[in-house]
Amino acid sequence: MNSSKDPFLELSERPVRFEAVNQVTNVFFDDSNKQVFAVRSGGTMGVVVKGPTEDAPPINFRMEDRGPVISIKFSLDQSILAVQRTKTSVEFMIFNGNIIEGEFSQGCKKNTAILGFVWTQTNEVALITDHGVELYLLIPEKKLVKHLKTTTTVIQWFVWCPTNKIALLASSHGSHLQPVVFKPGTISKLAKVETEPGRMTLERDVTLATLYEIPAILILRHQSGPQTAEVHIHMLNGPGQAPVRSHILRLNLTGRFAINVVDDLILVHHQASKTSQVYDISLSDESDGTVTYHKSVTLPRSLKPTTLPVPGLVEPQSHECELYSPNWVVFQPNIVIDAKLGCLWHIKLCLTTLCSQITDLALCTQLALKRTTGKSVLLQLLLDHILLPKPSLFKLQESFNHINSVYRIWAEAEIQMQTASPVSAPPPSKPPAPPRVLISQSDIYYNILQKLMNNDEHLQNLEWALTCYITSLSEYCIPTELLLNELLIKTLVQRHKFTALMQLLQYGIVADSKPLACLLLSLGNLHPSASQLAMDMLVRLSANEEIQEVLISQGQLLSAFKFSQETATPRKFLQAAENLKDPILFHSMLYCFRSNHQYDNSFLQDERLHSFIKHYRTLFPEKAIGDR
Amino acid sequence: MMAKSEIELKNFFIFSSSYESKEGEEYNKVLYYYPPTDDINTQVNNVGLVEAIIKFTGNFKPSGPLNSLHTLKKRQLYFEPEPNYWMVITINLPFINKGSNESTVVEYIEEDVHDTIYKAVLKQAYAMYRLFSGTYTSTEREYSITALRNKFEHFYTAYLKTLNLSNCDILNVFSGIHFLPLDKQNFLNVQCFINALECNYPIIEYVSFLFNDSLIWSGIEPDDTQIIYQYLISTLLPANIETELQGGSIPRNPSSPFASLHYGRFITGPTNLKTAHTIGKVPKIFLNNEANPSVYYFIVYRALNATICLFVNGGVDLTVELFKELDAFMGQRLSSIASDIGEYCTRSIIPPSSSDTSPRFIYFNKLNLAYKSTIHLDNRQSGNVSCGKELVQIMADMNSRKESLSFAGETIVKTMNDYWVVGKVSNLREFYVALQHKNASLIDISDEVKKICDTELKGIFFHPM
Repeated sequence: MNSSKDPFLELSERPVRFEAVNQVTNVFFDDSNKQVFAVRSGGTMGVVVKGPTEDAPPINFRMEDRGPVISIKFSLDQSILAVQRTKTSVEFMIFNGNIIEGEFSQGCKKNTAILGFVWTQTNEVALITDHGVELYLLIPEKKLVKHLKTTTTVIQWFVWCPTNKIALLASSHGSHLQPVVFKPGTISKLAKVETEPGRMTLERDVTLATLYEIPAILILRHQSGPQTAEVHIHMLNGPGQAPVRSHILRLNLTGRFAINVVDDLILVHHQASKTSQVYDISLSDESDGTVTYHKSVTLPRSLKPTTLPVPGLVEPQSHECELYSPNWVVFQPNIVIDAKLGCLWHIKLCLTTLCSQITDLALCTQLALKRTTGKSVLLQLLLDHILLPKPSLFKLQESFNHINSVYRIWAEAEIQMQTASPVSAPPPSKPPAPPRVLISQSDIYYNILQKLMNNDEHLQNLEWALTCYITSLSEYCIPTELLLNELLIKTLVQRHKFTALMQLLQYGIVADSKPLACLLLSLGNLHPSASQLAMDMLVRLSANEEIQEVLISQGQLLSAFKFSQETATPRKFLQAAENLKDPILFHSMLYCFRSNHQYDNSFLQDERLHSFIKHYRTLFPEKAIGDR
Repeated sequence: MMAKSEIELKNFFIFSSSYESKEGEEYNKVLYYYPPTDDINTQVNNVGLVEAIIKFTGNFKPSGPLNSLHTLKKRQLYFEPEPNYWMVITINLPFINKGSNESTVVEYIEEDVHDTIYKAVLKQAYAMYRLFSGTYTSTEREYSITALRNKFEHFYTAYLKTLNLSNCDILNVFSGIHFLPLDKQNFLNVQCFINALECNYPIIEYVSFLFNDSLIWSGIEPDDTQIIYQYLISTLLPANIETELQGGSIPRNPSSPFASLHYGRFITGPTNLKTAHTIGKVPKIFLNNEANPSVYYFIVYRALNATICLFVNGGVDLTVELFKELDAFMGQRLSSIASDIGEYCTRSIIPPSSSDTSPRFIYFNKLNLAYKSTIHLDNRQSGNVSCGKELVQIMADMNSRKESLSFAGETIVKTMNDYWVVGKVSNLREFYVALQHKNASLIDISDEVKKICDTELKGIFFHPM
């Protein structure tokens, strides 16, 4: 596969198109609703709202021009439009989907200036000023604004995370970073972000994101001298959501960067080299006990080139979009906007290509196990690896270990959920979320092993892979399913490796079960050990009836009878004795049944037995065993 | 108590019956003769006598070929491993001088020498030669009869020196393999290691894995494994452990105490990889002689107590680089596997009860050639046994008569000194127990044996008796 240089990141094929910025049109982006506002002539010539995708129907309306718009955002339910035109107030317009039906406004406290505003709930809005945060409740029916709470603190700039409703408030040139979290009707301060004392931070270097369900603050740190830049990640998972610096990404580059998050992978775009790097904080790497230092999982790669259709004179032409353009603005989690071009893209990850560029299979497995689309990619990856002429079996086993570790943890949680708990115990909390990628034995069987079964050339690799997998299952104490055990036996038989099979059975690699014992019995004609091991297996399973049947089929009637004296069926034994054409054996069997009271009764009840007495008379005319 | 003489080797020879010799040139028939001290006339006479006996008995068309000749003082056994090649061993029966000084009567003890045991010794002598040199026929065909003579001289003179006839017993008949009882995980780890080795080095066609004197895994067929196992534990490994014990040859990693330890070294091949310029001595062996004889290099590598045998395609050229690569690949991994297995063994193996009266047993499974003995205190046929030799003799007697039991049966024998010997045959397995029990009834003994079966051979099917 020669995909080692293919791009693994691409822009969405159908970007959200909007009117590009020009003399009369201003463009705004609301990262809560992921909407682009194209405001023509302050709104009198119309406002077009598009997003979050090109498929969403655009909203068109007009509003009065009361001066240049600083910021414009719909409420979370799209019923109120908030527009900020001055440093001191925000206007609210009631919107019915087509037109504005009424309006009211709210100013901030005296002697303060609004830095921005955010919708924290459907009907709550927070004004962030240079002196603090003011939280208001909107009652549109009465066109009323009610003050809820104010937090006083000096703010120079802030960053807002709509998913977690967290704002990071910066003062002292960004050396003091204060996260606050908004809940209905209230604002709470969290512990401040611990940074090196006096270290300043620019607004553009801070990204708020969610990594593996935990809110995180990502701060880009440019280093002086020969050192390259780093991204410091503060996870808000300390006591009381306190930020804890737990990861550092080593970028190995300097210059301008932008950060996106796709499927919990951190993408760091570098403008000068026009490349992007990928980081996964869940991978283990060099660590000093509290902070893990991460390397990019692959070499830096460019985004996949993309084009825009433009109407041509004769037929539509396509325009090659400039990647990593200076006009790009990046929003969370995965949005790139080119305002000059009038495009909003979502960055997508092609996991297959990414994985193909990670040479270490075990690392790649860990990465794929954490991705939402990882399952099929991972299964294919394993299959490809197994089909190599010289697969690395150690890596393969490591990879299976990661897979089974996830499976084991999930299975344990499942069992815990199902175990009955005492009535007094609190009802079990919600069932554990299944892991993103859960690979069961049947997944491995149907997606990998079965595909190797029918090609003789692949049998060797199948055997290797199967042994690796079974070893890994055993290491995680997961019982091997019958499907795999059968496959192991069949593969070895197909490869004529009976000796190997017998040794595996001898060491109990294959768990005892009746179906397997029967499979082994059927192999008895190929290798005598198979029937011996089958009998042992039946003994361990206490399958006395089956043992009796086997002994009868082998003509060992006396042993079979001794084995099951109480439950023997005379007809079965006599029939077998007759078929064996051994008169003495027949005599012994019949004599034995007739001299036992319990069995002798059955001769009276079951007429079918009379034929055996007749047969006896033909064998031994001078004796008279049947006559009473 | 009168001293009993030991069983002694009278002579051992190989002759070719196809060789049409003129009168006076009969000695050409003799391909090998031991002892060399016998003059040529004695040699020719002995061979002639055997040939005559074989021809004479052949007239009666017995069901099988001639097996042995019993005389008052001697026992002679015959084995025709390949058409027209005959191997013959003659054994002096042990004897006791009875009576007072004046009238000494020499009594020869015929029952101490079992045909089955010494026939097995002959077969093993053949198989060992074939392992290293191929069949007699192929040596003669590819080289010459003189070459065959030289090879015999070279091989059997050394081989006979290692043979201790008086220590031969029922184990020679089985010539079984002792498998190490091991848990699933450790076994699978061994298996994965071997797979990785075979996958990385396709020139390695088969691999066998031993821990101490016990086999864990063998990729070759059981009959070949059998003879290689015998060679390893009786010849190659003991010689090597001695040099190990003399010290110095285990390379250690003094540079860092935290680095994984690497104890591996080659037993066949270059002994010191750092200074080696040539690959040293790597024996070639012949496997699969019955069906499709092929030549393999026999590379043995050892780390701690684990021994790994690599059977490398005999057609390739071995290089020092290959050995270095293999050492790098196997060294640490094998050392860590070996220490895991060692840990498991010390944890799980209960030392056998040392009491003299506790029951002793020998188990053998014909199908996988596995044996287990609590009678023999090591696997090396040193004659180190934990119960009376006469009990082991009884077992050998039972074994030679097991055909009469067909697929399942039981024999119980009581000795004069209150020992009981029970022999069980079932589903191609043999199980012999010796126990001391005064005033016991047959039922007591039968129950006792049942108990031993349940504890020692759990999960194995025995025909009901």
